[in-house]
Order: sequence, then structure tokens, then C-alpha cells
Amino acid sequence: MNKSRWTSNRVFKRIWQHKLFYLFMLPGIVWFFLFSYVPLYGVQVAFRDYTFIGGFTGSPWAGFKYFEQFFNYYQSGDIIRNTVIISLMKLLIGFPMPIILALLLNEVRKMKFKKTIQTLSYLPYFVSWIVVVTLMQRLLTPYGGPVNDLLGSFGAESIQFLNNPTWFYQMIVGSDIWKNIGWNSIIFMAAIAGIDQQLYEAAKMDGAGRFKQMWHVTLPGIRNVAIILFILAVGNLMSAGYEQLLLLNGPATASMGSVLDVHAINSGIREGRLSYAAAVGLFQSIIGLILVLTVNRIARKVSDVSLF
Amino acid sequence: MKRKWSFFSVFNYTFLALIGFSMIYPFIYILAYSLNDGKDSMMGAIYFLPRKFTLENYAQVFDNARIWKAYQITLMRTVLGTFLHVVLCTLMAYALSKKTLPGRSFFTFYIFLPTIFSAGFIPFFITLQKLHLINSFWVYVLPMLFNFMHIVIIRTFLQGIPEELEESARIDGYGDFQIFVRIILPLSGPVLATISLFIGVAHWNDWFSGAYYVSNKDLIPVQTLLQEMLTEAEALSNSMQRAAQQGGQTVGGTSGAGATPESLRMALLVITVFPILCIYPFLQRYFVKGVMIGSVKG
Repeated sequence: MNKSRWTSNRVFKRIWQHKLFYLFMLPGIVWFFLFSYVPLYGVQVAFRDYTFIGGFTGSPWAGFKYFEQFFNYYQSGDIIRNTVIISLMKLLIGFPMPIILALLLNEVRKMKFKKTIQTLSYLPYFVSWIVVVTLMQRLLTPYGGPVNDLLGSFGAESIQFLNNPTWFYQMIVGSDIWKNIGWNSIIFMAAIAGIDQQLYEAAKMDGAGRFKQMWHVTLPGIRNVAIILFILAVGNLMSAGYEQLLLLNGPATASMGSVLDVHAINSGIREGRLSYAAAVGLFQSIIGLILVLTVNRIARKVSDVSLF
Repeated sequence: MKRKWSFFSVFNYTFLALIGFSMIYPFIYILAYSLNDGKDSMMGAIYFLPRKFTLENYAQVFDNARIWKAYQITLMRTVLGTFLHVVLCTLMAYALSKKTLPGRSFFTFYIFLPTIFSAGFIPFFITLQKLHLINSFWVYVLPMLFNFMHIVIIRTFLQGIPEELEESARIDGYGDFQIFVRIILPLSGPVLATISLFIGVAHWNDWFSGAYYVSNKDLIPVQTLLQEMLTEAEALSNSMQRAAQQGGQTVGGTSGAGATPESLRMALLVITVFPILCIYPFLQRYFVKGVMIGSVKG
């Protein structure tokens, strides 16, 4: 008993010695409580008839009413399908792009050229989706826009790219790639830079050419990074990128472009159906979590690399 | 000895040059458009340089009270939000970098947990309502005060500072706070610059808060203003352009010089993008490192 009092004193002393650091952490502890844990606790509004006065805990229970409402909504199937299609396309087409860019940049020997291309490729990441969509409107307009002028000089008909179902997916996936390819390639460039140069020397000794080196040395060298990033990307499969879709989806493409995030935002904030929107959001989060856990498991079995 | 240019090299350099061009060209184009006479621009065929040079568009944009107000809001939230974010995240990161701190792993987990499972948008929105942040300037600043990833990046950097520095400072009689201010902070320039860039850009580019949490027109930042113009401008400029191309006449029937909503919008776009364009290339070395730390630890 004496001993335990002695240790607890010692613990208290250690805590007291670190008082300044607890003070440093205090704003963060309060902030994470208010802006992360309170909303997490508030997830229960999905199971309640939310009223402003009742708040998170005082509103009457509603069970699974709002989940049923969502699944009975005649468009819910379309919304889920759209979300999955758009994010799958972004994943399958968009995910390999930064890897390809990194591989190509890695083959460049002129450092100044490489550096310039890299710097330029980061640029779109730093501008907002508003700017990107404004640029698209301006550059792609059939009425005197440079892209259609270029097409015209080849004798092609001018094309209405935006608000056109025929071009919708191309615009969504293309703008997503344009905005993020450079930024996402950073991590792959770093992984490539970390590959042991002796492996390349050995491959050369064995008579491997450029492509064989790329295939047998570079790609295996960035495999682990790619798997981890892929798992994270799959976790986002249920969110198709709300900023982009809020801005790029118009009436003409509504049947292809209404997705879960946007549906939740619109029905929650625009229409004030907060409990319903919370249910949609919760459904989305849970599916996302299940996806990450599943892919993580598969990755661990197949390749020994996993997130956790 | 000069290496022969293989087919692959030629293809690779050309292809990469095209990618680089596609990244910068839209910005060159809007710059040319914004420096060209608005009504003249409607004829199209402006590609790299303005045809009928004018500063009229910029003059009108700077003259517009609403745009000024929005620009002020954006500047204020960016400066204040970035400063507070960097200070508070650094304090937290420094504390969490202390290996001797009792409860260190608990607090790390405490800030990590919310990144695994997000509550979703609506509970967050209700929280903002309950905190009376809706329709207030602080809705731009407070919800962005902390970020788990940024704390991890700063902490990793701080852990790389040799402990001997602190020990020798302690022998010289420095207290914890003095060590932080006089030893640690002066050495943290690169990481603080990186985080400032990340959060500064996030503040500068945020249009969503302005569009969904704020209805007071005097509190709208530039990006939200641009978003409002997005839908209006498209319909307007397309119809004007069509008229210009078909009849050589513009809305109002005059063929004189002047700004159009579209040329003003392009000038505003240039002013919005320009500060970022000037800053990010100089911080490249640092943010590349920041991204690496972030993804290794994350």
C-alpha cells in the first residue's frame, strides 16, 4: 500500500512536471471534443425526429424510419449507382495516372525539364474547384472557346462539353485527373527516389533494358505505397467528390450526376430534412468503413501490406 | 559522350511537355482574356495574348464594392485562420512530441480516432448551429483550427530536432517555455511554412462554408462569389456570345469598347488565383517533404 501511494505520487509529479505541455494541448483537446466528438455523438439524429429545440438527445426516437425513407425513395437506387459508378471510374482510371506520371518523370534525365514539369503539375491542386469549373466553362464553350476552335481547325464539329450527358463522365473524370495528378504523384516520386540504386545496376548487368528495369525494379519498389493508397481510395468509394459534383452537375445530367453526398447536403440544408440527411450520411460512412476493412483484409492476405 | 535520343525519349519528353502545357495554359488564357477588351473578347479567337489590350476589366473589378468586401473577408479569414491554425497545431504537436509526457499515446489516439469514422456532414452542421457559428465570420476560422494530419507532420519534424539542443539549453537555465520559443520555433521554419501553405490555400479556396453556412451577403468570401457567378455567367455569356458571333452586334446594340460580365469574371479569377501562383513554387521543396511525412505516418 505504501508502495502504491509512492508510485501514484511519482505519476502525479511527472504530470505536474509536464504541466506546460498539457496547457499547450488544451485548445486542441477542447477543439477535437467540440468539432469531432460532439458531431460523432450527434450521429444519433439519424435515428431521431430531429427538432432544433430537442437537439441531439432531446428529440424523439424514430428508429429506422429515415433509413427506410431513403431506401423507399424512388431515386435512391440511382443515387447509389451513380455514386459507385463515378467513384469507380475515378479510381480505375484516375488511380494509375499519377503512377504513370511518376514513372515517366523518372525517365527524364534533364533535371531542369523534370523540375519544371513537376512544378507545373502541382498548380491545379492549389486552385479551388470553383476556379477549375470556371476555367472549364471558359475554355470548353462552343462559342469561341479555344478548345472548340482547335477542334474546328481540324475540321471537327464544335462540341457542347458541359451539361451534356454524352460528355459528363469524361468531364468529371478528366477534371479530377487534371486537378490531382501532379499532387498525387509526389508520393510515388518519393517512393521511386527511395529505391536502392544497386538494384538498377544489378538489373543492367543482367541485360535489362529500360522497360525491364521499370517493370522489375521500379514497379515492385512502389508497390507497398500503391497498395496503401489504394486501400484509402477504396474507403472513399461511397463519396464521389461533392464539391466537384455540386458544381459540374446540371439539370441536363441530373440522372447521371446525383450522388449520395450531394443528396445529403441538398436534402439536409436546402430542404431542412436533417434527420433524413443524417441517415443518408451515416449509411455512406458505414459502407465506407466496411469497404476499407474488407480491402485491408484482402490486401493483407494477398500481399502482406495493410493499413492496420 | 552524347546519348542517342531513342524513340521513347522523344515520346516521353513531348508527352510530358504537353502535360505541363495543359496545366498552365488555362491560366495563360484567362490572363489574356482578362486583359482584353470585354466586348472584343466575345468574337473569340484569343489564345495567348490579348488582342485589344485594356486594364478596364481590372479597374471595374477593383471598383466593385461587393467584390472588395468579399476580397477583404477572404484575406481576413486566410490571415487569421492560418496564423491561429499554425500556432495551435504547433503547440499541440510539440506537446505530443515529448516522449516523457504521461498519457501521450492516449491523446494521440484521441485526435486520431475521428479520422477513421466521420460523423458525416449533417451532425457537423447541427453542431455549428448549436455553437451559434452559422452566419458568423467565425464559421470560417474555428472549424478549421486543427487538423490531425498537420499535427502529425509538425510532430514528426519536431522529433527530428536533436535532443542535445534542449538539454544544453536546460543547463543554461532555460525553462520549458523558453526552450520552445528560443530553440524549437526558430528551427521549425520549413515545417511551419509548409503547414501555412496547406491551411492558407484551404482557407483561400473554401467556397463551401460561404455557400452553406452563411447567408449574410456581407460575409461572403471571393470563392463563394465566384460560385454565384458560375451559373449566372454561363447563361449570360453564352447568349451574348451567340449574338456577337451571329450579328456582329452586342447586347445593347453598340460595337464600342467595354467590359462584359464574362471579362469581369475572368479578371476576378486572375486576382483570385494570382497569390497562390506566386507563393507555391517557392515552397515546393518543403511541401513535398510534408506530403511524404504525412503519407508515411498516415
